[in-house]
Amino acid sequence: MLTWLAILASRVRGLLLGRRLDEEFDREVASHLELLTQDNIGRGMPCDEARRQAMLRFGGPVQIKEQQREDRGLPFIETTLQDVRLGVRSLRRSPAFATVAVLTLAVGITATTSMFTVARAVLLRPLPYAQPERLVEISELNPLKGWTHTVVAPANLADWRARNTVFADIAAYIGVDDRGASEYQVFLSGAGETQPLKGIAVMGNLFDVLGVGPMLGRAFTFDETFEGRDQVVVLAYGTWQAVFGGDPRIVGRSIVLSGRSTTVIGVMPRDFFFPNRSAQFWTPLGVKPDVFVKMRRPHWMNTVARLRHGVSLAQARDQMTAIASELERTYPDTNTKMGVRLETLHGIMASDARPTVLLLSGAVALLFLIVCVNIAGLQFGRGVGRAREFAVRSALGAARGRLVRQLLTEGLVLSLAGTSLGAAMATATPAMLLRIAPSALPLFAAPRIDRIVLLFAATLGLLAPVVFGLMPALASSRVDRLSERTGSASRHTTKVRELLVACEVGLAVVLLVGAVLLSRSLLLLRQVDPGFSADHVVTFKVRLPRTRYPKDVDHIRAFGEIERRIREVPGVQAVGATSTLPLRGTTWTGDATVEGRGVNDYERELRHESVTPDYFRAMGVRLVAGRLLNDRDGAASNVTLVNQTLARKYFRGADPVGRRIKFGRPLEDDPWMTIVGVVADEKQDRMNQPASPEAYVPMPQNSQNPMTFVVRSTNGLDAAIDSARRELRAVDKDLALTDVAPLTDVIEDSIGDERFRTMLLGAFAAVAMFLAAVGIYGVLAYVVSQRSRELGIRLALGAKRQELFTMVVRQGMRPVIAGAGAGLAVAVALTTLMESLLFGVHAVDPTTYAVALSTLTAIALAACAMPALRATRIDPLIALREE
Amino acid sequence: MGERERETKSDVLQGTLDLMVLQTLDAMGPLHGYGIARRIEQISEDVLQLNQGTIYASLLRLQQRRWISASWGTSDNNRKAKFYAITRTGRKQLAAQAQNWERISAVMMRLLRLAQR
Repeated sequence: MLTWLAILASRVRGLLLGRRLDEEFDREVASHLELLTQDNIGRGMPCDEARRQAMLRFGGPVQIKEQQREDRGLPFIETTLQDVRLGVRSLRRSPAFATVAVLTLAVGITATTSMFTVARAVLLRPLPYAQPERLVEISELNPLKGWTHTVVAPANLADWRARNTVFADIAAYIGVDDRGASEYQVFLSGAGETQPLKGIAVMGNLFDVLGVGPMLGRAFTFDETFEGRDQVVVLAYGTWQAVFGGDPRIVGRSIVLSGRSTTVIGVMPRDFFFPNRSAQFWTPLGVKPDVFVKMRRPHWMNTVARLRHGVSLAQARDQMTAIASELERTYPDTNTKMGVRLETLHGIMASDARPTVLLLSGAVALLFLIVCVNIAGLQFGRGVGRAREFAVRSALGAARGRLVRQLLTEGLVLSLAGTSLGAAMATATPAMLLRIAPSALPLFAAPRIDRIVLLFAATLGLLAPVVFGLMPALASSRVDRLSERTGSASRHTTKVRELLVACEVGLAVVLLVGAVLLSRSLLLLRQVDPGFSADHVVTFKVRLPRTRYPKDVDHIRAFGEIERRIREVPGVQAVGATSTLPLRGTTWTGDATVEGRGVNDYERELRHESVTPDYFRAMGVRLVAGRLLNDRDGAASNVTLVNQTLARKYFRGADPVGRRIKFGRPLEDDPWMTIVGVVADEKQDRMNQPASPEAYVPMPQNSQNPMTFVVRSTNGLDAAIDSARRELRAVDKDLALTDVAPLTDVIEDSIGDERFRTMLLGAFAAVAMFLAAVGIYGVLAYVVSQRSRELGIRLALGAKRQELFTMVVRQGMRPVIAGAGAGLAVAVALTTLMESLLFGVHAVDPTTYAVALSTLTAIALAACAMPALRATRIDPLIALREE
Repeated sequence: MGERERETKSDVLQGTLDLMVLQTLDAMGPLHGYGIARRIEQISEDVLQLNQGTIYASLLRLQQRRWISASWGTSDNNRKAKFYAITRTGRKQLAAQAQNWERISAVMMRLLRLAQR
């Protein structure tokens, strides 16, 4: 074994020191010959004869040296290096081919690697918690309310914690939107300007459940969950660095958060995030203990639980379902039909992005196939062109294996260049993807290029050309005689290349159909009437700190004052405020009853928002019947507006104005509110969902904090924001406006997922079409050059140039039509899988297929036209003289 | 591929030459290539006429296995030459191979005698 190693070491040395060892051996041989000659002279030979005899005895110094060289190094590697040199040289001789091939591969690698990075970040990489696979999210569901997956009620949560034996513990947290982004906002004051921070409020045991401790200081105790002991905060690493300059003595420091003095007790490690990277701090829930005893409505807590060792998700589901039924029996009032749903934390976090990521990964795989087919086609074409070179080399004694090996090495040189370029470009894409997809990709995992991603790129880049290069290599090395350089062999390869083009076209058509379907969905989605008019409107949120604004009346007064001041700014046409801006994902709901209905006939979880009177004018929401709210609708006025959907559902064409509804169930003792008007439906959760019933009550009647202001103004968006900020400061210099966004952006953000996947799939399809066009062009250009003599003869015999044009185009379109047919069939099968991602169109949508086909035809015809034009310009005389 | 074929064809001869070189270096101490070749020819009383150049393939093989070492020095008649010397592992190898060779040649002798009868 050691001997073997010694040989290898010596051979590697030989490989590296080749030239020096050559010279040394030359000297050794020279000295040997010299000694031999001297001896021969000593035996009485004349000088010349002595030298001649010495050469004879030694036996062919050149062969000996050659032998020595071979035994000394690693011939395999030396040959490969030689092939690489040869490959680079021959690629340099055909720069067009090399450029196209390298760029094609680079594009393929970039797209594939970027998608892999994203897919890995979203779906594959484990979360930064101890044994993350044991973490589970528990949510509640209720068929009566149409809930499939909703936040939980605190008292239910407390009972689960007390009764279950399947979880090590269950923790709760609040302050996230429906995507898991942190919404709980505080204002850090003290040092300089008031600074908003976003974080979440948690139960004291959260970090224990996650199994991650702070890197500095300590985690919360369970007691700190509750009011009175909750003035503590744990900072994210990034917050500690950016906001507190990495202060090493941060633990124990007292800071002012929204007017409350709070002690920093810990800093989490750098890689930690929960529930995603937008959380800058964690602070206790700060609730009264009896919340966990009494409150079975409303539902407002997110949960995360850790499975005990040896307990499966199914077992946990069984026990939790049993507990839920016990609670249902004990508390029929609140818990009827209330079930539980358990999902792995990772599954929940990735669920929004999964369909998009899977769709795009599939698309990019198709694109990469096209790239491979394209390179195979290019190599075929080149192989044909080089047939003569190979025939000569083979005639000079090169074995077929050697020729194939050289072609493969060339392929490797190409792929090395393409892969490096692609990987380099791929390093830039995650940042770009994040910029165009702030919401489509879950923020909990930042896609980044690391060793595994590079390994992935290298594997793809090196494997694909080898696999797809092998076939052309074998075909073009099959040259036995010089005469075969044209004729049947090239006709055969033309057939193969046409087949490859058909494959490319087919794959491209699949992508194209997918992209057109998504684009049409997006277009239709953009045309949907949101129920308000978004132009010239800005929105921002204002939260009043509870220390200085403890009571409802304080809120009502402050918000009213802000609204009044902004209204007086010149150029402002209308300003209003609401507790719930549409399309922002969160809302208030509660059971509600329409007067005159049966005991069990009530609206479950009716959406409601508190608004100021001018909200509707500012948003541009249309009044359908009755009147809007006005300033006389005070705290005790008990009036409400309803949307059209509610009116339709409960009044069926009869006039709802003057009828009454109340929050609460039929037998409960809540005050009745008179419906004074009906307004047009606003889109609520998403643009692609129909509106649900909704009620609007005057803010004084149900005061909320924070409120979102809506300002319609002719001043331009920036000016409107500036003046709003000025007026806000005038009311209270410590207030800040947050979540500033033009209303048009609110709509655009809500269709961010759709836009993201449409853009990406569109880009993939465009690249695919381009590659297909290159393929079509390449084959046809070659065919025309091969047939130039025949075409020349035809011209000489009187064929019209236009006929030739049509003839060539017809030949070029042959593989296109075959490929398109196959592609459409595959598209029908594949696109039905993406039905759930579509809006307003069916997967098998005739318009889409027509658009895709005409796009393809146009591009293919353009690709065919250039070689066909060249065919018509052939000069018969020159063509005939060529042979 | 071709390389392996060549090796198998001349295995015996190579092995024999290697053994001769080792034995020569063990007996004579450090020698240059020409010295080794001449010594082998002398010992064999010119029964074995080799192309002296082939000795270098053998020397390379033995060096790669670290059974001999090489260094530049000055020959008897004041010329620069590369001298080869047997190493410790080389001696061990020589002992093992010599034994092996004796066994095989004994077997061969017996076999040939039997065949003659």
